[in-house]
Parts: sequence; C-alpha cells; structure tokens
Amino acid sequence: MVLSAITEFAAQEPKIYGLVIGLIAAAILAAVINVVAMLLVWLERKVMGDFQSRYGPNRVGGRWGVLQLGADAIKLFTKEDIIPRGADKPVYVWAPIVAVATTMLVAGALPFGALIIDGREIPLVVANMDISAFYIEAALSIMAIGAFMAGWSSNNKYSMLGAFRGIARMIAYEVPMGICVISVAIMAHSLNVVEIVEAQSVWFAFAQPIGFVIFAIALITDLGRMPFDQTEAEEEIIAGYNTEYSGIRFGLLYFQEYIVFLLGSILLVHLYLGGWKGPVIPVISFISPMIWFFMKLVIVLVALIWIRVSLPRFRIDQVTDLGWKILLPLSMVNLVWAVVVGMYFA
Amino acid sequence: MTTANDVLAALQSAFPGVIEEAKVGPERQLWATIKPDRIVDVCKYLRDNHSFDHYTGAVGVDKIDEGLFEVTEMLASHGAHQVVALLKVKTKRDGPSVKSLTGLFWNANWYEREIWEMLGINFEGHPELYPLLLPDELVGVWPWRKDFKGYPDYNTAERAIERLTAEGYTEYSIPPTEAEVKAGTVQKERPKYPTFREREEMEIKGESEMILHMGPQHAVVPGPFLLDILVDGERVKKAFLDVGYIHKGIEKILENRTYMQGIPITDRLCYMASLTNNEAYCGAVERLLGIEAPERAQYIRIILEELSRIQSHLLGTAEFLTLIASAVYSPFLYMIIDREDVLTCIESVTGARINHSFVRFGGVRNDLPDGFKDMTLDTLKMIREKTEEYKELFLSDSIYRKRMEGVGVLSPHDARRLGVSGPPLRASDTPYDMRREDPYLLYKDLDFDVITRKEGDSKARVEVRLDEIFESCYIIEQCLDQIPSGPIMAEGIPKKIKPEPGEAYYRVEDHRGEMGFFVVSDGSDKPVKVKARGPVYAYMQALPPLLEGVYIADVVAIAGSMDACTSEVDR
Repeated sequence: MVLSAITEFAAQEPKIYGLVIGLIAAAILAAVINVVAMLLVWLERKVMGDFQSRYGPNRVGGRWGVLQLGADAIKLFTKEDIIPRGADKPVYVWAPIVAVATTMLVAGALPFGALIIDGREIPLVVANMDISAFYIEAALSIMAIGAFMAGWSSNNKYSMLGAFRGIARMIAYEVPMGICVISVAIMAHSLNVVEIVEAQSVWFAFAQPIGFVIFAIALITDLGRMPFDQTEAEEEIIAGYNTEYSGIRFGLLYFQEYIVFLLGSILLVHLYLGGWKGPVIPVISFISPMIWFFMKLVIVLVALIWIRVSLPRFRIDQVTDLGWKILLPLSMVNLVWAVVVGMYFA
Repeated sequence: MTTANDVLAALQSAFPGVIEEAKVGPERQLWATIKPDRIVDVCKYLRDNHSFDHYTGAVGVDKIDEGLFEVTEMLASHGAHQVVALLKVKTKRDGPSVKSLTGLFWNANWYEREIWEMLGINFEGHPELYPLLLPDELVGVWPWRKDFKGYPDYNTAERAIERLTAEGYTEYSIPPTEAEVKAGTVQKERPKYPTFREREEMEIKGESEMILHMGPQHAVVPGPFLLDILVDGERVKKAFLDVGYIHKGIEKILENRTYMQGIPITDRLCYMASLTNNEAYCGAVERLLGIEAPERAQYIRIILEELSRIQSHLLGTAEFLTLIASAVYSPFLYMIIDREDVLTCIESVTGARINHSFVRFGGVRNDLPDGFKDMTLDTLKMIREKTEEYKELFLSDSIYRKRMEGVGVLSPHDARRLGVSGPPLRASDTPYDMRREDPYLLYKDLDFDVITRKEGDSKARVEVRLDEIFESCYIIEQCLDQIPSGPIMAEGIPKKIKPEPGEAYYRVEDHRGEMGFFVVSDGSDKPVKVKARGPVYAYMQALPPLLEGVYIADVVAIAGSMDACTSEVDR
C-alpha cells in the first residue's frame, strides 16, 4: 500500500523523489560513517596501546573502555569554543565545517560493500557515478582546503606553518596518486569504482605492485598520518593547523581525520584489494561480500595503525623530495606498465 | 707527559713576577694566583703553548673578610695532558673588574655573565653582559655576595629598581668601573636582554621571516628554557636561547647548609644524575678533608654510578627518539620499561629510585644487600639484549637514519671550541672522558673503552650513548667480580665536618659529560662557596650556533640529541 504510493509518486515527480531519497541516503550515510569512525578512534587507541605495552582506554565502559569515546565527545561538546581575537572569524568558524563537508563528499561516491540478493550483487553506494574514481580523487584533493583555512585564519605562526606544510605535501602527492588512479582505471577500463572492483579477477595489488605501494604511501600522506603528519608535528609546531581550536570545532577537525582514515582505507581496498570480492561463503551467501570487505578493511586499518606506531616522522623537505623525485617517476613507470598489460589483456 | 710542575715552571719563566703564589695540588692540579692585568696573556700562553684548549669554567668567590673577590679560571686540555690549571685573579670589592676571557675562549661567555649577574664583577671586554639566569629586575642585587641579606629586602621588581635607581644605576645596568673610565671605554648603555618585540624589530629583515617560539612553553621542551628561532619559511636563520626559568639558587643554598646537609641538595641539580652529583660534591669535600673512601665503598659507588649511567642513557635516547618519532612514543615506552629494572637494582641499595643522597664523605650510606649480584647480573643481561635490539630497530631504520644522519654536525674542532663534553664531544671524535682523563675512584684499575664516533651528527651521539650502555655493563660486571669485603666508611670521620681552609676541585664523568664541583672552605662547618660546573650548561651555550641553517624539524633532532637537562643549567 505505502510502497505502491511511493512508486506512484516516484513516477509522477521523479526530481522530488530523487531529492528525498538522496537526503535520506545521505543522512543514513553520515550517521553510519560517524559511528564507524568513532569505533575507529577506539580501535586505534586500543591497538596502539597493545603495540606500546600499555592498556589504552580501560576505565570508562568496562574493561575495554568502549564508552571512552562517548565521554570524550561529551567533553568536546561542552568545552568552551574559543575564537582568538586576531583570528579571521568567518574563515576560522567555517574551516572545520568545510573540512568535514569535503570529506563527506568522498563518502557519497564510495561503495560500502555489497549484498547478494537473488544471485545478483547489489553494491551499497549512494551515488554510483561513471567517473566516481575521478570524483573521489578530486574530493580528496580539496580536503586540504579545510585544513589550510583553519591554519591561515588562526593567525598563529605554528598553525600557518602547519597549513603551508599541508599544501606543499598535498601538491607533491596528489600527482602520483592521480596517476595511480588512472593506471587502475586503464586496467579496469572504467572510472567507476564499482566496475573497478568487479574488474579485479586478479587484485590490482598484484597486477600493479608498484602502483599499489605508491598509492598506499600517497594515501597515508593524504590522510596526514605518521610518518607523514608534518602538518601537526607536536615537537615542532605544537599541533599544527588546529593549534588554536578548542571545543567542538577541534572535535570536528580531529574527527575529520578519522573519517578520512576510514574512507581512504576503503578506497585502497576497492582500488587494489578487490573490494568486496571473494569466494562466496555458502550458508551466509547473502552477506558474504560484506564479510570479505570488512576483513580486508580491518586488515588495512590495523596495518596503517601499525605503521603509525612504528615509524618516525619525515622532515617536510624529505617528504616533498620523496613525492616529486621518487614517487612521481615511479608512478609514470606504473602507468606504462598498466597500459601495456591492459592492452595485452584487452 | 706534561705535569703540573712543568707547566708551573714554564709559566714562571715566561711571566716572571706575574704569578703571585702557586702550588701544585695532588691529582695534577695547578693552583696559581695571577696578577689581574696579565690573566689574558697567561691564558693565551697556556692555550697556545701548552694546549690548554678546554675552558672548563669560572668560579667567583666573595672573600668579604679580605675585601676581595676572587675569580678562578679553570683550564684543562682535551687529551694532550691531564693538568688542570686553576688560575686565580683577585679584585677589590668596590668596583670589581676582571679582564674577560671571551676573546680567547668562546664558551667563557656564559660563565662570566653568570658571575657578573650574581657577584657584580664587571668583565672588561665581554660582549654581552646582560642577565642570563636572573630576571632583569634583580640585577644589582648581587645575590652571591656575602652581605646579601636575602630577598625580603627587595622582593618585588619595583623595589629592586627603585633601589637601583637611587644608587645611580640606570634600570638594569651597572655604572662603569674606574678602569673603564680611565681607559675611556665607557659604554653609554649596557646591553640588556631584549624583549620579544624588540628582537623582532631588530632581527626580522624580510617579508617571509618570523620568529618562532620553541619554549619555554612548548610541547617539546623537557624543562623550561626559551628558544626563539628566526625562520625563513622552513629554514632556521638564527636561534636565541635564554635559560634561568627555574633557577633554584642551589649554589647559594649550599653555602647556608652544613657540608652534610648539602648532599640532598646536590641530588636536585639533575634528577637523572643524582648519584654522580653526590659523587662530585662528596669527592670535592673528601679532597678538602684529605680522606679517601675504603675500597669496597669505592666499588659500590662505581657500580651504582654506572647503573645510573645506564638508566640515564636509556631515558636520554628514549626522549630523543620520541622527539623525532612524534607523540607516538613507542621507543620511549619500551626503553622506560627496561629502565625500571635498572632503577629497581639501584633502589635495592639506596632505597630510592630518583634522588638517592647515597654517597657520604669517605664512604657510602649502605652496603650492598644480599642477592644484589645475581639481580644485577640478570638485569644487565636483559639490558644488553634489549640495547642490541634497539640499536637494530632504531639505528638501521631508514627514516630514523634520514632524520639523524648529517643533522647537527659538530666537527671535532668546533666541539672543543664550543666547550661541550660527554657523549656529544665523544661523538665528534674526541676521546675525552673523565674516567680516563682524570681518573677518580678506582676507574684506573678497570678495563673499558672510551666510545667515540667520527661523524659528530645526531646519530653518532645516540650511538655513543647506546654503546656506553654496553661499556657500563662491562664495568659493573668487573666490579661485582672484584669487590672486596671490608668497611664501607673511612675511619675517624667526625660527625661535624669542618675542613681546613682551602679549595678543592673534583670532576667526574657525569652521564652527560664533565661535572665538576669547586668547594671553598674557611674552616667553619659550612662551605664558603660551592660551584657546580655542569655539562649541560656547556651544551646549552653551544646550541644556538648549531641550529643555524637547519630545518625547523631538525631543531628538535639536534636539541634532543644533546640530552639536555634544564634543571642542571638553572642550578
């Protein structure tokens, strides 16, 4: 009854129907992403604790400290939101929002696994665009704008240095990263992430090992995680671009890093590790792709946390050196490789 | 081999009538009183002809009964010979003035500034006599003078300035001395410490330059010291350092305590090196008293001081690795867990983990407990294995190496000129170790290597520390094998210690370098003057020239590799 009414409405007013459905999907997406990112913060703190011979959160919410993040979130929400006198107020206020919003743009085009219904794979994606890989790459690049706004508007020397470093690093790494995405697209004959996943009868991590390594390094740089967290190097520039932020605005900037961490890892899984593809598990074939997807995702996340606790930070000149002098030429080699192999298999 | 007598004979023939009185003390020390106007010539002669290239420091003593100030310049050599020259210059108490040695020794700068601000002795020819440890407002109070009545007289900045102004001082400066008036070298206004804004106006030349604070309130700084860096983009053009934020006045406190009461105070010089600080102080007083600890006590001291060196080097390395490895302080946590075991070994003897107050005049407080040998040997085995592992982990990793290799390179010549000692000096290919140069305790009987490296960069300094851990382990094992039974205190030491009038200088190899205590006695139960010549004071002074032209990220890699302890700088 309700269903038929909706179908009728959809036929009559396709634009409004699309808008409403889009808004609902966006709301669900935002909620899911935020909850998962919160879990990710917890996972990182716990895993890091294990790596460093300590407990990690273990008081709030029982032995595993699961409620610690709730407590932290309440703290950040209730703290005073300080705006420095010398700050460029509109930019300062909007910077965290821009940062989170641009991050959410990535989420719109990323599939979050797939379900098998009636023997058909249904990818869980909000906007299944033909150029979604290109779109994601573009959205990842403009993410740096939020951080730069935050650093520039704070009117603080440390923040400004952090913001400059962020831009220098972004320029150095977006180019090899983009070339890697192009290589993947050439091999998959598509820029659509769903089709790229489906094209991976052999994981692209094996088909283009150089590309995989370059993409992983560039991705860690984009995420601003160790060993590439020069934008917020505590020992040098206090907290980098978010030095002056406090309260919920700081919370947004902090949380944005984890959302990007999650989305970046998902992108890596899709582009190089075969996304949700894997042998169908007989009894629970319905969610079998989801299981594969989550297993790969967790492995990537833990690997990135492992890298974070193990490696020291590069100096900013070493980072840009690595990007321009090593990764860029190598990504070109990878592109040639992808074209040759892609043509051979095509 | 040059002996103190040779040096004295050479001095007397080269400068007839200039040496007023001289004596050659035990332990290769040459004490001489020099005519004030010739001190620069004498030091130049010693530096150029007898390779006294190591300016160790200067001590200012207020001899109020004689109406004199005495400044003792301490010179030594970087390995050419083992003589320490302690050259005394006397100046009258009103209008005191001494010739500055900054022209000869670069690192005389801070030592003379300190004496100036504390005692009010003017140093003629010193380029920047402005306050170092004291706040600007307290200059003119001269706290080290014996007639100083304490701060209640002028405990606020306003009152201090009021008092100074009434006496004809302009704010923060002292009037020219008679000698300066005669020579016509009166400076119109003495330099004072510039404020941040003034410094910005003075130093910033281009659009892209700015001055960045790295302390006193900064995530990286272990204790508060001010480090301002003038940066052009990511490059440091110049560094400005100021210390004195936690000045405790330990040397003045020691003057107001009996000798025995002074031991716990010396702990607080630097909590990482409390045992060697005790050792340096007690050793100096033992020299005044003319006693020596029994053999067993000396072995116990060596064992504990080497254990302490292990824990200090572990923590020093850990802190340094944290500085380049970010707040993700895995190396820090790994090393500090191992350090706990070493501390437990020390605690089983001294009863304390940090501030030990363990060494006594002529002995030690406690004997080794039962089972100490086994426990220590187990711990050393573990430390050896772990240190091997850390060397492999951190020194072979390519990113760590990228951050350390070629960073903050000190050439052997520069390292000697800047006056650093300890691991940073040894990393610059200079085998200068007090345990060999000026053997104290029973170190001359023990077998160990002085670790050196050729590179002189941050990595070399860390490597020297890690390798010294192995040497310390080896020394402790020898001591545990050789230690005889017997008393742990020398016989016949009175409860109330009153050394004969005189002076003594005793230096030990602190974990961070050369630590010397200069103690002056007038025969009462309290010292007249105690000077702690610490190694970190010397490092700190040498830091700004090292930081010129490096990246901002290297500032922490260089400062951290020095293993500085602000507490000891601001004694």
